[in-house]
Amino acid sequence: MATDLFYGLLPDHLVLALMLALMLLESLRVPPAWGRIVYLALLGGAGAALAHQIANGYVADIAGGEVIIDRFALSAKAVLVTLGFTAGIALPRAMSYKTWLLLASSLFGALIMMDSAGFVALFLGIEMLSLPAFALMVHQRGASVAAEGAFKYLLMSSIATALLLFGMSLAYMSTGSLAIADFVAIVGSGRGLDTAATLLMLAGFFMKAAVFPLHGWAPDAYSAAPLPVTAFLASVVKGAVVLALVRVFAAATLDATVVTVVTALALASIVYGNLAALAQTRFRRLLAYSSVAHAGYMIFALAGATGSRADDLLWYVGIYAAATLLACASYAVLARDKGNGDDARDELDTLDGGFARHPLAAVLLALAVLSLAGLPPLPGFFAKLFIFQSAIASGHLVPAVLAFAGSFIGLGYYVAIVVRLFRSDTMVQPMQQPQ
Amino acid sequence: MGFPLLGALLLIAVGAAVVVPLLRPASLARAVTLVAMLAMLGLALRIFAAFDGSVDAPAVAFEWAPIAVLRFGVDGYNLYLLLLTTLLFPVVLLAIWRTPHATSRLHLGLLLALQAGLLGTFAAQNLLLFFVFWEAVLIPMLLLILVYGGSERRRAALTFFLVTMAGSVLLLAAVILLGALHWHETGAWSFDYDALAALHLAPATQWFVFGAVALACAIKSPLVPFHAWLPLTYREASTAGTALMAGVLSKMGAYGFIRLAVPFAPDVAPLAAPWMMLLAAVSIVYGAIAALRQTRPGDVVAYSSLSHMGFIVLGIFAFQATALQGALLQMLSHGVVAAGLFLLLGLLEQRRDDGGTLALRAPRLAVATMLLVLASLALPLTSGFTAEFLILLGAFSEGWAAWLQQDGVVRLAAALLATTAVVLGAAYMLRYARTLLYDAPPSGADPRIADLGGREALAIAPLLAVVLALGVWPAPWIAKTAQVTAQISSYSVVPSAVSAAHGEAVRTVRSPHGN
Repeated sequence: MATDLFYGLLPDHLVLALMLALMLLESLRVPPAWGRIVYLALLGGAGAALAHQIANGYVADIAGGEVIIDRFALSAKAVLVTLGFTAGIALPRAMSYKTWLLLASSLFGALIMMDSAGFVALFLGIEMLSLPAFALMVHQRGASVAAEGAFKYLLMSSIATALLLFGMSLAYMSTGSLAIADFVAIVGSGRGLDTAATLLMLAGFFMKAAVFPLHGWAPDAYSAAPLPVTAFLASVVKGAVVLALVRVFAAATLDATVVTVVTALALASIVYGNLAALAQTRFRRLLAYSSVAHAGYMIFALAGATGSRADDLLWYVGIYAAATLLACASYAVLARDKGNGDDARDELDTLDGGFARHPLAAVLLALAVLSLAGLPPLPGFFAKLFIFQSAIASGHLVPAVLAFAGSFIGLGYYVAIVVRLFRSDTMVQPMQQPQ
Repeated sequence: MGFPLLGALLLIAVGAAVVVPLLRPASLARAVTLVAMLAMLGLALRIFAAFDGSVDAPAVAFEWAPIAVLRFGVDGYNLYLLLLTTLLFPVVLLAIWRTPHATSRLHLGLLLALQAGLLGTFAAQNLLLFFVFWEAVLIPMLLLILVYGGSERRRAALTFFLVTMAGSVLLLAAVILLGALHWHETGAWSFDYDALAALHLAPATQWFVFGAVALACAIKSPLVPFHAWLPLTYREASTAGTALMAGVLSKMGAYGFIRLAVPFAPDVAPLAAPWMMLLAAVSIVYGAIAALRQTRPGDVVAYSSLSHMGFIVLGIFAFQATALQGALLQMLSHGVVAAGLFLLLGLLEQRRDDGGTLALRAPRLAVATMLLVLASLALPLTSGFTAEFLILLGAFSEGWAAWLQQDGVVRLAAALLATTAVVLGAAYMLRYARTLLYDAPPSGADPRIADLGGREALAIAPLLAVVLALGVWPAPWIAKTAQVTAQISSYSVVPSAVSAAHGEAVRTVRSPHGN
């Protein structure tokens, strides 16, 4: 038991140690350059611990029905730690210890959520994930837009929390237990109380994941935050919320009403997110609306009933978040020499002719956005494929076709980015066509 | 015979696409590209020579994931197309050798990526793999148009990309649906062609699959009324882009019809066939009439391409061995002829010349143009005649048989309608030749232009050789695909004595060559 407490939670312990180390380093006034090194080293350690656990097929029930380490927890934590590590490499600016600390605490919350087998741990994790994010958004920013965006995020997030808590209390009323497994058993019962608990909890998660029509906070929050924070919000935080949703609903049998609602919201999210993104001229707002659309694809996985929701969403979250991080990092490189990477001004026209200036960054950005668009043979296609495979195999052919049509709309703005990158007459003089 | 050769071919295609953009200087990249393309051509020729016409050719297969055993293979359907693809790329590269495009490493990389995508599409024996390559072709093509096209290249690139992608929406749904049905029937995911063709699909499902595939292919080929992207794209793309699009990319659509629409909707495809034939015939005539009305040479070839692609679809949906044989030959013939015509126009463009009295000013160029023009209008002893004659013969005999059995007049009408286009074809192609070769050039044109040089002649010569070889002695080519085309009769809903006997005759006549 004691070894489980140590070994099973070793990755979490290492992230906790990271937080303590960062605080210590700051109070000892060590130069801030060490922040990234310590962050990467300890996250790397956490990743190694996870790899060791996965290789051993380690499984443990650590704290009587509240904390559990199973295959999903390990894979999800591996995805999140990898993303956190990638974010640590990709984040461009010289950042203070406080920023690293906030990132690490948010990540710590994400890891707790993945370990949770009961609602108490899950709830703690969600709050631990979200609260540092507000601080990140306003930290080192005097601008009032930042405060406004962060405040909106805080407010909407609290409402989401309230919905989740309400759902959890209804579940407790129905089952008399706070274990997730007991709740899962009653999800598909069809009783009014159970359906209400399910819908409330889903609504809470959907709001945190910015699913239409609960997405209102995302565009303002994303565009108010500094670009690295936006990248972190759109990849790690959003991914963690979706994986927490999986943690609860992976094996649940949803009843027909709930499936209909989820499918409709997924479609609305995909279509609305993509249409709205088409109209954007700024990178971070575009990213925000594109993330609304992606939330739609992700919750579409709940419509699948082939028992592969957990795997499908692990793939999707990992690939989506990695592509988002890559896109933000390459965008930052391309925008830097026009001097507006981090400013409020992040117009898309900074990308014009990007290939001529930074071929590598431009190609990476193009690959990232085409992957987000789901174009084969890029990984984003396979992520979508897995989700739609399950959905179609479960008989949701028509919604799947509509979702494809919605994602076709999304091609418009993703390809427009590629067009901007390769739009330059300085590369090769186009041949004159005979008139 | 399949494994090492085909595997090596695909490996070279993918490997070269990755390595070439990293090479410096650009002239080295260009040389390596040419070597890789020639190596692929060599391998494709070996595969072609070794192919014995057997229906169950061995294949390359490796397990990539439990849900997807990736299988590539050569069969009668894709044999010509592999040859066509590997032939056209080095030809195109040689033709643009001295232009700035040929020393742009991005351009070379895109060409190789395009070739890899095309070879993958044609060689795949797995539906998901097919779809992945089918879509992957779009990315290099988008960039080829976008970066290297004419003055309206952005609009052309976006139109091409978005219209083509629109066709893929339903195709992807159909692909996944077939996989899911396999999962329901057997409990395992599989996208393998053979596994999917063995499924017993309900008619409604077959209609969906057929419709989805047909839409995607009709946009890609294109067929009227799905051709809206074609004129702009062919005009704005660079020489290499246009030649490859008309030569090979358009064949993806035709190949999709025969490879996917027919085997995966075996009960429905014959029912839809008369209407597909009619659509093809409308395409043929519309393309021909539109070509007659064009004044720019490039536009004439673009619309003639629309017309000739219609013949391929007509041949496929005649559901008759002779017509299918013609359709397969037409893929090769039209690929070579259309790409050749566009390349010759590109060579004129490199000389900053608009044509006119080329017969005097550049006789070698004029001869090459004339030969391709004659093949395009299907003069006997050229490849165009062999292909279109077989298609029309097969379509007509099938239509006649259907009519005799009071099984509808649509097929016969389509065949007759298509026949009229042969006359129209002669009209617009001869006018095209007259404008370029004999009419007075626009005032101010240089009276002396460089004739076809050695490198350019070397590039064009293989195309002319294929045109003549297919026209003069088609038997060895036909022998390679006789077995696979004979299979088509098993789908036909017209159990006519005529077509059955004809198919049998074709088989017996050709089998000595085949084995």
